[in-house]
Amino acid sequence: MSPLEQEVAQLIIDAVNLEDVSVDDIEAEAALFRDGLGLDSIDALEISLAVSQRYGFQIKADDENNQHIFASLRALSQHIAANRTK
Amino acid sequence: MSHWLYDNKLNLDRTSFNGLVQAWADHLPDLPYMMLLAEQRHHFILGFVAAQLRGQTVLLPSNRSAGALTEVAADYPDCYSLGEAANTIDGIQTIHCAQLPTHASTLAQLPPISDTHTAALVFTSGSTGKPQANPKPWHSLVTGAHLAQQRFGFSSEHSIVATVPPQHMYGLETTVMVPLISGARIHAGRPFFPADIANALANSEGQRVLITTPIHLRACVAAGLEWPQLEQIICATAPLPAELLTAAEQCLRAPIREIYGCTEAGSLASRQPATSLDWQLYDSFSIRQQHDDAIIDAPHLDAPVTLSDVIDVIDEHSFRLKGRKSDLLNIAGKRASLSDLNLKLNALEGIEDAVIFMPDDDTQNTRARLAAFVVAPGMTATQIQTALSQQIDAAFLPRPLYLVERLPRNETGKLPRQALLDLLTQRGKDTQPATDA
Repeated sequence: MSPLEQEVAQLIIDAVNLEDVSVDDIEAEAALFRDGLGLDSIDALEISLAVSQRYGFQIKADDENNQHIFASLRALSQHIAANRTK
Repeated sequence: MSHWLYDNKLNLDRTSFNGLVQAWADHLPDLPYMMLLAEQRHHFILGFVAAQLRGQTVLLPSNRSAGALTEVAADYPDCYSLGEAANTIDGIQTIHCAQLPTHASTLAQLPPISDTHTAALVFTSGSTGKPQANPKPWHSLVTGAHLAQQRFGFSSEHSIVATVPPQHMYGLETTVMVPLISGARIHAGRPFFPADIANALANSEGQRVLITTPIHLRACVAAGLEWPQLEQIICATAPLPAELLTAAEQCLRAPIREIYGCTEAGSLASRQPATSLDWQLYDSFSIRQQHDDAIIDAPHLDAPVTLSDVIDVIDEHSFRLKGRKSDLLNIAGKRASLSDLNLKLNALEGIEDAVIFMPDDDTQNTRARLAAFVVAPGMTATQIQTALSQQIDAAFLPRPLYLVERLPRNETGKLPRQALLDLLTQRGKDTQPATDA
């Protein structure tokens, strides 16, 4: 896992209060939602807020790659790397 | 200029919409029930009205889990499903919206829909584990829309943007029936993230109305965006904490009004919480107290409805909400019965004993989550979560879910709440070092 992926994994854990999960439990390529961590759409909202505060950009679903952005920790980290302003 | 049903790709006035609905209706299979799973609002509205034109009844399952869809399909074998792509159900015919026409000649007027036609069956998850069908005759949906129109002043000057799906009563009334009846424009999308909501509003004309939930309002406030001028915000599905109300009215610079309703009766009261916490019934509804229950009635309902909340009736037209009866949960604006969730968890293969419970006060905490303890030798927490996610809405998946050797049952076999809370604290501490390591 890259340093950014580790950082984003911790951000997810903090944003949605995954008390029983540690960074090491999250696999970079595994699905975040449903079968993976069992996150739901409201969790996506929480994560998007944490991302905008930490990395200085707004996540949008308008471009219809919402599914892709949240597909895995790796996908989300790549989206952050490409769009971050801080 | 934007027309009645619009977003950045779509712009249909009423005559174009009518033409397209008729074309969709002509393509539907000859079956009495349509399970409408469309996620995109314009597909939903087209499908919903097209079904009415064909004299079909729309089935609206309480959630999208495979289990819920299969259960409804089993009870209505002569149904087909209409949706975008993801949802296919074994054994029933699936129509994809993409297979239906995207253009048609205009039509000035739609054929009339019979008042007594059962427009929809809206399902709730009953406490017995079986979905309950709530029939909605066309006339009751139309009357509900008129009542909302009177209360909120909807007209063709308005543009409605909604973050809520149309599948539940709140969304069906405010984003399908109200636009159909009042002529208010409706945004075809379902903007989700705050930046999407702000964009959709900015691309809307006239008097803007945002139909939403406390969860989305909280996200909008936290996002720190510029908001277009709004006429009003309508919020429902869960209590709006006082602090959030103040922050949201300041941030979005518009009055917030709340709707109270239930699947059985639809929307029935509203309030503007900055002004008064008392709920004012819609015109034509009345309420009375009978022992611990509050019972509402209205001419367009088939029968009086007993509300599932604890209510103080103030007079025939207003009431105060005191809380919920204990079996009912409200998470992220979705309702479920705790006993139903427990039945479903305990029914999973490989589980010997299990309990789901709500550690927090979900009437105050918009982020409240269920917790679970499970006795299931040989299974992992992830396996259980995965199996459970096939049966229940993701909002109700317990988190955390701890595997235990036995549940803290007392001598009568009951699970005292305090024992569950103590065990939760204990397990929370146990896993902390693992997180730090």
